[in-house]
Amino acid sequence: MRFKGQALAGAFALTVFGALPALAVTDVKIWHMEQPPHRVQRVQELIDAFNAANPDIKVSQEPQSWGEVYAKVPAAMAAGNAPDILFAIPDFTTVIRKAGQLDSVADFVKELDGQHHFIPATVEPYSYDGGVWAVPLYNMSLNFWYHKKMFADAGIAVPTTWSEWKAAAEKLSKDGVVGVGLPANKQLYTDQTTYAVMVNNGASELFNADGTLRFDNPKTVESYAFYKDLYKFSSPDAANWTWGEAEACFASETCASILQFSVISTYDQQGGGDAADLGVAAVPHADGEKSSSTIAYSNAAIILAKDAAKRDAAKKFIAFLLEPENYGKFLNMEPGLFLPVTTDGAKSATFWSDPLVVKYKPQVEQMIANSHAGMLFGFTGGHVFPAIGPISAQNILAETLQKVVINGEDPAAAVKAGQAQMIEATK
Amino acid sequence: MKRGPLGWLVLALAVLALVFLVLAPMWLVGTSSFKLPREIINRVPTWFPHSFTLQHYQKLLQTSAFPTYFLNSVLVAASSAFVTVILALMAGYAFFRLEFRGRDMLYRLIMVAYAFPSIVILIPIYLMFAKVGLIDTDLALVLVNVTFALPFSIWMMRTFFASLPRELEEAAAIDGAGRWKTVVHVLIPLLRPGIAAIAIFAFVASWTEYLFASVLIISDAKRTLPVGLSGIIGQYQIDWGLLLAGASLSVLPVVVFFAFVGRWFVAGLTEGAVK
Repeated sequence: MRFKGQALAGAFALTVFGALPALAVTDVKIWHMEQPPHRVQRVQELIDAFNAANPDIKVSQEPQSWGEVYAKVPAAMAAGNAPDILFAIPDFTTVIRKAGQLDSVADFVKELDGQHHFIPATVEPYSYDGGVWAVPLYNMSLNFWYHKKMFADAGIAVPTTWSEWKAAAEKLSKDGVVGVGLPANKQLYTDQTTYAVMVNNGASELFNADGTLRFDNPKTVESYAFYKDLYKFSSPDAANWTWGEAEACFASETCASILQFSVISTYDQQGGGDAADLGVAAVPHADGEKSSSTIAYSNAAIILAKDAAKRDAAKKFIAFLLEPENYGKFLNMEPGLFLPVTTDGAKSATFWSDPLVVKYKPQVEQMIANSHAGMLFGFTGGHVFPAIGPISAQNILAETLQKVVINGEDPAAAVKAGQAQMIEATK
Repeated sequence: MKRGPLGWLVLALAVLALVFLVLAPMWLVGTSSFKLPREIINRVPTWFPHSFTLQHYQKLLQTSAFPTYFLNSVLVAASSAFVTVILALMAGYAFFRLEFRGRDMLYRLIMVAYAFPSIVILIPIYLMFAKVGLIDTDLALVLVNVTFALPFSIWMMRTFFASLPRELEEAAAIDGAGRWKTVVHVLIPLLRPGIAAIAIFAFVASWTEYLFASVLIISDAKRTLPVGLSGIIGQYQIDWGLLLAGASLSVLPVVVFFAFVGRWFVAGLTEGAVK
């Protein structure tokens, strides 16, 4: 009888004390859109390291696709099964803010800024309406890629202005090679290449300071007209290209130059890996402009969790990612594509020691430099215009370009119609 | 009408052109999956590989979750096809052999399911499934797939039931067979072409379904092939070798399924044509 009592007491104690650690674990679910296997693997390595160092927190990842996430997240929020951390870009953040009550992370960003020093341009797109709505994690910028050998053989210097760019494209377009690879249909890649041309002609602002549209202006019209001129030296099948096709055209040496987010790993695997032949430069600017700019996306983490313990755990994980040693590994889940948003991250030893980064160091340095002059439509001039959400979602910049380049419409008329369409979309 | 040599030549050329149109892309996809990356993106495509590698298949099977996606797709598509066949048989029997009030109206009403584009009902279905805890389950996909495949399958069943004389059932009844026995031992064996046609239709529709699978499934471990494969490819880059290897392996189950029940499928498709 005595033994039975002791056994019962022991079992009770085991149940209570055994259950305590399990009860104390806080689950943090992350949704991100970095689906290629090597990126998922790298994120998992970091999660494993974090979980091992923080037994009271269990972080897990669920990679999602950009194609569906705009519909999926609001639905998940409405159904109560949204993730705790969501990776996002600025215009997606405006959509999420509309779908649910986001809490500002201004204090947290300030705290992280004190430790790591954010590049201001990466925080700005998330700072509006009296709050900061996401924590910048990595930057991406569109760059001018060119084959050094082709340019050298033709005796052409790297173009810095539009007239040089057009002349180079014209001269290089021969023997099955096209001078430049540019898309021209209604999709995101065309939005990006179009805006990269616009920002280099002083047409970066889509809105006036009061929120009214100013897309229809002479600078925008000039940009569209120039794109149309340049497109003559693009591949005949380029209209429907997305990033992958442009990359393949460049890697196969069919395109002498392209505008591309810099996925070095694909160039290295598909293009033979000749680092000496890969030229990366700033997107050329209009002849009247003094310097180049580009389109850049500051990617960030939104904390959707409402529960205090989950929010704290989410912050702890984000802070862990931004620690220079971890941050370099995080960025190098896709070397070259993901660029640092913090000053100390840009010096991270783990970032610069990655074999691909070592091999393509000058190119990566140039990409980082270009990203500092990056802009994003709807998030410029110290303003954020949430109305950019529907304009971006409907690819109106690209649709206008398609009208000009493919349908042969007059640039001025197409831009005017584009502005009318934007007004309609934002009603 | 007798066909002359010129007629035969035109016919042969037309068939050849059709075969080329159908098979050439499949040939290019299949053979390119064994080429080295550089050859895949070559300026001039090579019809016959100049290089050979298994690296894309190795990468696909070893570093990605492709095998998991593949198994999930097999499970979801096979379950969807099975449930669709059972329900279509039962509904077909009810619609075309039983008399009840409102039968014709109900028969026409089931086709209304196709009146709404999938995207319109996506969010309501998500919210409904979330309420009953079906989000991120294979069952959710099976339910959706069956919902979309069933109306057309029932409609297809009409032709097959119409081809069977009622006298067969009456003879079975005279021999003492009940309704259930008649269905199982008399009707189902005779309906095999129809069953095969429905099974293949439901299987292929489920195998290629993307929209609902991409939204109703959240975890990577439960993704089906179309969604998983699109994720493997990535947004700002395309690993062409991986894509081609994935595409080549993805068509295998459909080819195998067709090999087993294909002749019934063809018979099923032509059944109604001569009635």
